[in-house]
Amino acid sequence: METTEAQTIMYVPSYCKICCATVVILLSVDFFIETPIALAQEVVPSVEKAPMPSDTVLAAQQQRIEAMRRASSATVAVYGTDGQGGGSGVCVSPDGYVLTNFHVSSPFGHRMRCGLNDGRMYDAVVAGSDPTGDLAVIKMVGRSDFPIAMIGDSDTVRIGQWCFAAGNPFVLATNLQPTVTYGLISGVRRYQYPSGTILEYSDCIQTDAAINPGNSGGPLFNIRGELIGINGRCSFEKRGRVNVGVGYAISIKQAMNFFGQLKSGRVVDHATLGFTVTTENNGKVAVSNILESSDAYRRGIRYGDEILRLGDRDVTTTNQLKNILGIFPDQWRIPIRFRNETGVVETYIRLQSLHLASELEEIIKGESPQQKPPRKPGGKEPVPGDKEKLELPKQTKPVTKDAVDELFVEKRGYSNYYFNRFELDRILGLQAVHGSWTGSAEAWKINGEIPGENIAVEMLLSDENLTLRLGDKTETVHPLKGWPKWIKQRSSIGALMGMRVWQQWNRIGPKLMGEAVYLGRNPIVGRNTLYDATRITVSDFDVLVYTSPDTGLIEVIEVFSDRQTDPVELFFEKYETAEGRATPKTIRLAYGLESQFIVSINQLTRIEIPVGTGL
Amino acid sequence: MLTKSSLATDLGRDANVFINNEALIATSQEKVVKLYGAGGARGLESYQSGVIIDNLGHIVTSWSTVLDVAKIRVVTFDGRRLDATMVGMDPQNELAVLKVEDGGLVGFDLSRAAPGATGQRVFAISNLFGIAAGNESCSAQKGVIMASTPLTTRRGKTKSLYQGRVYVLDAMTNNPGASGGALIDLQGRLVGILGKEIRDEQAGIWLNYALPMDVVKSSVDRILSGNTSVQTAGLKAVAQPHRISDLGITLIPDVLSKTPPFIDQVREDSVAQRAGMQTNDLILLLNDQRADSRKSLEKMLATINRADSFYVLVQRGQELIRIHVRP
Repeated sequence: METTEAQTIMYVPSYCKICCATVVILLSVDFFIETPIALAQEVVPSVEKAPMPSDTVLAAQQQRIEAMRRASSATVAVYGTDGQGGGSGVCVSPDGYVLTNFHVSSPFGHRMRCGLNDGRMYDAVVAGSDPTGDLAVIKMVGRSDFPIAMIGDSDTVRIGQWCFAAGNPFVLATNLQPTVTYGLISGVRRYQYPSGTILEYSDCIQTDAAINPGNSGGPLFNIRGELIGINGRCSFEKRGRVNVGVGYAISIKQAMNFFGQLKSGRVVDHATLGFTVTTENNGKVAVSNILESSDAYRRGIRYGDEILRLGDRDVTTTNQLKNILGIFPDQWRIPIRFRNETGVVETYIRLQSLHLASELEEIIKGESPQQKPPRKPGGKEPVPGDKEKLELPKQTKPVTKDAVDELFVEKRGYSNYYFNRFELDRILGLQAVHGSWTGSAEAWKINGEIPGENIAVEMLLSDENLTLRLGDKTETVHPLKGWPKWIKQRSSIGALMGMRVWQQWNRIGPKLMGEAVYLGRNPIVGRNTLYDATRITVSDFDVLVYTSPDTGLIEVIEVFSDRQTDPVELFFEKYETAEGRATPKTIRLAYGLESQFIVSINQLTRIEIPVGTGL
Repeated sequence: MLTKSSLATDLGRDANVFINNEALIATSQEKVVKLYGAGGARGLESYQSGVIIDNLGHIVTSWSTVLDVAKIRVVTFDGRRLDATMVGMDPQNELAVLKVEDGGLVGFDLSRAAPGATGQRVFAISNLFGIAAGNESCSAQKGVIMASTPLTTRRGKTKSLYQGRVYVLDAMTNNPGASGGALIDLQGRLVGILGKEIRDEQAGIWLNYALPMDVVKSSVDRILSGNTSVQTAGLKAVAQPHRISDLGITLIPDVLSKTPPFIDQVREDSVAQRAGMQTNDLILLLNDQRADSRKSLEKMLATINRADSFYVLVQRGQELIRIHVRP
């Protein structure tokens, strides 16, 4: 069978030669240039004497060839471990992280094979999954210099621009060279309703570049060869499952918003606003229902308010609102502008999860290979969806534990728990260079003042209790328990809680504080970059810790009592090195979006207490 | 026309070259509308596309069952929802002209419409699959005119009333909802109107094509000059007119606001049978006037004296047949 395919491939060039004189001229003429087209048509009858196309036309063609060459090197053919099945993907980081569709990776289980156009196959392992947005991240192993796609800006994509898709349609890439199809951007910001599943394509790019089965998960590039989308869906109706001139790509903006989350190895979720809208007859997009427990409600949004803007885009229809919402992971805080009776309000809202964890687990279970045999060393590899294949001689060879097995840890709620640990260790690795706080049990005394108000601040943090002296007022709280009560009151004790989390993170590390889960990259209100976000579940409350992806330093700590209440937000706004350790010089306490106070820290004293004194 | 040197400058800043396309398509999209009407069941779409052809509110589109409603909903590029009525239709070319009153619509200049040539590059703009709603843009696709040829050469293989010349396209343009959409050249001139879905019965292949503008213009001229128009208002009934039952035909029951005048039964040895009318014929025209419903057919018949003969144009399967009815 392979011979036949090889022959087919061989035939193509010889067949092409027959018509190459005509084809080359027609193809080399760029679509947008009128003159050369007329030229091409004139010369068709007398092929022999065809003049060379103009330099500009050749230059444009050369640019396109170059863009496609670069783009093809980052395009990935995705197969099951037995070489069966297949889809596409695109490599976006030199260490081998590949964006693909969830519906491509999920039938393969955790392990797959990836082909690049260097002609080599690489082992790959699943990292994270987004069943709602049909995205997944898989990681190739074996190199640290994988070719990557340049990330483009899908917000600047316009109807009428040229684009091209690369991938593995009909699993044609037997020689691992991706198929490139050229086309026009047919539509932008398309919203595609979930069709009987939770899968929802929002804000996607529509193209007439041929997108066929096997192209799924592969890249859509702009004419400069920059990645603008992940192909994943087509309009099919009565014409069968082949291209009918309408393909859809998930915008690269959405994909990159989720990329950080997907690297966490989690099954990630999309978001809801906590309210619904309807487009009224006068064209107003108005709130038609709102949960009183939602962050949106706490930020002042009420029934009937008009939503004007979400994220960085205006809202004029319900579809637009859904489009914008669909590109954000849950727990992100995004800007919103709305109008009520008193005027226009600009604020931020924290997005809620769209699904329950159990709902996502069900979906993952349903999409995974039907029977997942327990993994034990020397056992057989599960073959996606086809148990009989297990009997093939190729598969009976015992699989020894290899590099891919080292990168996989099964755990409920995760696609691959290994990557969650990996990311958390990465953060701790970044922090290590700033000096170690680990050591024997100790109490801390922090002295500072509220700048400009001449109010002295003293904090005592020990395993026994936490004390805050603010001017002549003193308040004390248990180092672990009873916090929710104070959070609901928006107490200044929140600063103690934040500092205590900061202390414990540095002293004993997040893993010993409770159940620590790396979430991905989340925004911080008022800042332009994304931060590593880690959630720690302590006894009766949750903590979110935002660290800088560059330095690993803690930027914000949020302490949650419950869903109905704004969390404590403690910002660490300035770090200086004291005694060889990075120490915050300014902290700011806020609830909701309101700052309570700022403390400039003058001194942090560690009081060493010998182990076993019972303190 | 782009000169070599200006092009070279543009290619230097290569984005600029491509912006021209965007502007061209964006301008053209404002002249394509989304149409909604009857249908929505048994594989019949209730939506299609239309092209604004002047600044008087006229829209040309495919003549289809979608238009079998009293008011056709028109949604413009900026999301405005307007009502259109049918001015008239041309069954031969399967085209219809609609009119929106006081919509302030700005359309293509038909006098600038251009003929297409084989090998020419074109863009198609339509609301295929009904993807766009409200103020969302219609879809744009690229293509090349592969052939300019009569559909008759495919007679028997494809079910189409229209048998004239078409531009066959290499792009997947003629999807559900696309018919009535615009085919434009690289100067933004209208080159054709996308036709209805046609499938090769033997090969199962769908044809992608457009009606050339000379064909479209001839239909538009005929419709706007008053022929084939729907003008039941103001018709004067005569004292002793023709009646459907006297002709010897039974039409399907009048259950819709615009029930199409399908012949349910033809009585043996009746005027209708002698003239050659058959069961399942759809009466399209009566003396070249459009009979768009059973009600309008009855009104029009009432204006013809029982002693006079008349012509009807019926659709029988995929054929149009002109029948002379003599009392």
